[in-house]
Amino acid sequence: MGNDRKSSTASGDWGDNSENVSVALGIDLGTTNSAAAVATPTGVEFILGPRGERVHPSVVSFPSSGGVVVGADAKRYRLTEPHHVIHSAKRFIGQNIRTPVVQLAMAGVRYRIEEGPNQQPIVVVRDRRMTMPEISSNVLLHLKRCAERQLGTPIKDAVVTVPANFTDSQRQATKEAGRLAGLEVMRLINEPTAAALAYGFGHDRQQLICVYDFGGGTFDVSVLRMNGDVFEVLASEGDFFLGGDDLDRALCEVLAAECNRILRIDPRPHPSLMMKLMMGAEAIKCHLSENDAAEGEIDGLEAPGSQGGRLSFSITRAQFEGLIAGYINRTIEVTKQVLAHAGVDARSVSNVLCVGGSTRVPLVRQRLAKLFRKEPNTRLHPEEVVAQGAAIQAGSLVGTLAAGTGMGARDAVATISHSALGAAGNVLLPQQTIRRPVLMDVNPATLAIQTAGGFTERLLDKNAPIPIERARVFTTSRDNQTRVEIDCCRGENRLYGENEPLGTLVLEGLPAKPRGELQIEVSFRVDADGILHVRAADQMTGIRQEAHLQVLGAPTSEDA
Amino acid sequence: MSVRVNVLLWAQRVLARKGAPAHQLLEIPATASLEAAQDAFHEIARMAHPDLHRRVLTRDELELVELAYARVAGAYQDFRAQRMQAMRAASAESAAPPGRTRPETANLSAAAPAATSSSSSAGRMNSKATLYYRKAELCLRRGDLTGALLQLKLAIAGDPQSTFLRTALAELEAELSRK
Repeated sequence: MGNDRKSSTASGDWGDNSENVSVALGIDLGTTNSAAAVATPTGVEFILGPRGERVHPSVVSFPSSGGVVVGADAKRYRLTEPHHVIHSAKRFIGQNIRTPVVQLAMAGVRYRIEEGPNQQPIVVVRDRRMTMPEISSNVLLHLKRCAERQLGTPIKDAVVTVPANFTDSQRQATKEAGRLAGLEVMRLINEPTAAALAYGFGHDRQQLICVYDFGGGTFDVSVLRMNGDVFEVLASEGDFFLGGDDLDRALCEVLAAECNRILRIDPRPHPSLMMKLMMGAEAIKCHLSENDAAEGEIDGLEAPGSQGGRLSFSITRAQFEGLIAGYINRTIEVTKQVLAHAGVDARSVSNVLCVGGSTRVPLVRQRLAKLFRKEPNTRLHPEEVVAQGAAIQAGSLVGTLAAGTGMGARDAVATISHSALGAAGNVLLPQQTIRRPVLMDVNPATLAIQTAGGFTERLLDKNAPIPIERARVFTTSRDNQTRVEIDCCRGENRLYGENEPLGTLVLEGLPAKPRGELQIEVSFRVDADGILHVRAADQMTGIRQEAHLQVLGAPTSEDA
Repeated sequence: MSVRVNVLLWAQRVLARKGAPAHQLLEIPATASLEAAQDAFHEIARMAHPDLHRRVLTRDELELVELAYARVAGAYQDFRAQRMQAMRAASAESAAPPGRTRPETANLSAAAPAATSSSSSAGRMNSKATLYYRKAELCLRRGDLTGALLQLKLAIAGDPQSTFLRTALAELEAELSRK
């Protein structure tokens, strides 16, 4: 970093010390697509794929010809070798395979998933068995390599985004994926928060914004208060199994029925036919976002042992909207809940940001406009804005961030015009200070412990700001009790059994005392990544137990 | 350098107050409003959020700041929960009388109605304007004139009638044009 360059930039606010400035990648690791970007002094620069694409499919293929193929190239194998094409790994990462939602999601993929150690899902391709973090690490590694080629410098640090409602184990598994890809994940940030950061960084005013993030596989909505550089998430909620894929599937079901009726081929038992219909459905959906009707043919529908055919279809936007209205209504219900939780009236929200490819569906925009009584903001690129926010946060953490890396600065452009843009855009940028955003994200779920009688005692509330620590002092319920078990759970219910168990912390070797005399302090700490750390200590003897709760479905340490 | 010392002193102060009531950790009066608590917490975040100090502090120091920040966040959660509960109770109780204006000063409301009529000229603004005016003052103290200008304009938007604010704005604009 030459000094001449430093002084010549109009907004000469690099980090605190310009030597050892490293480049850190911001990564949006999506269910269907991923994107990566870096914050440069002049703006955010996107990482391009081998063909210059900014959006990289989160697809990993293990073709019969050997090797591992990632991204746009991997997608090509969808038709020829559907069993070897791993997509939507994000739906399984850090999940317990036995949960009903995971079982449901498994029905939607064509590759094989088995139960592995610790009830985690394992992908089986031919004789290879891989954990979900391993699959995702291939996507991350691909992005890392693209970035290294583009920037000509090795990259080791990254900020990765996750859905706001990702659980502790999903977050841990995502970090693990980063580690396997040779990246140090400095921070996990929530996707809606990243979008808000990309939109709001550099805007020096107070406002309430709502981020409606409807992606390929997940739905999230967050309400934030922007106060200068401070981005405080007031409330966040989501549906982890609701996304654009569901819209495609609704349409695909109709196409499959038509296929059966007209061509007399039932495509449902044939993965390659279903994949073809699914791709057709996706194309029709995208077409209907721009047009009132879609007409055409899907050809090559050849089932083994029967003659092939082409399926002609004609569908209007209204018909399509009838199919998907249920899903859209659900997102609007969740949005209302979040507003209520944040204590915010829909009309006081000054900006509704649309994030995720599914917000291109006109019905989504109509419903949002009706709820908020204003047109949603669709100027942001729905598939890139999350990576852009991640890049800003990454730049802030390593100190390569300069003012004005926000919305207007998607590409690295000329320096001078850049700061002029900041001034012209009604944004006041103090020139000498280093502006670094302060993200105050929230705890995704209520965390509690079990108390006598099978009830819970809440330690951390959903939507509390993180990082956060809270402690409570508990006592023993029996005389001469030398061992205490602390059951931790996640969920809102007052009854312990109704919540999702997280794990148990055991405190042993306590001095024998009459009941009620021991003072055991239990503290829950959720770090800035949203990962829980539980600690228990006997206040008299100082016996301490610290636990990183091992949650079912999470990668075990042996996998590492 | 002083930033570093400030944040470390703050962290030690917070950690020494372990178990103290929420408002003490937030360094606000017990009777402060929810907005005042929010502002106080934002101020703390601007100064002490661990992300801002990653590169300046040593690992041990950063841990200290992180712990202090996490505890203050816990206190903020408690304070917010209390206030929200009180607000819900109050709105359930007195949903009837309409047109009742909220207490005037921003930092002393809920439990201290006696303190409503502040004698300072700034005190005659409504609570929203007061909030922004306070922020403008903070900006000025930092020497951030443009920031102060913005906050002052926001204050005027909150209370367009206040001659006090208009005078302040005129003074500030004069100051800015001199620079």
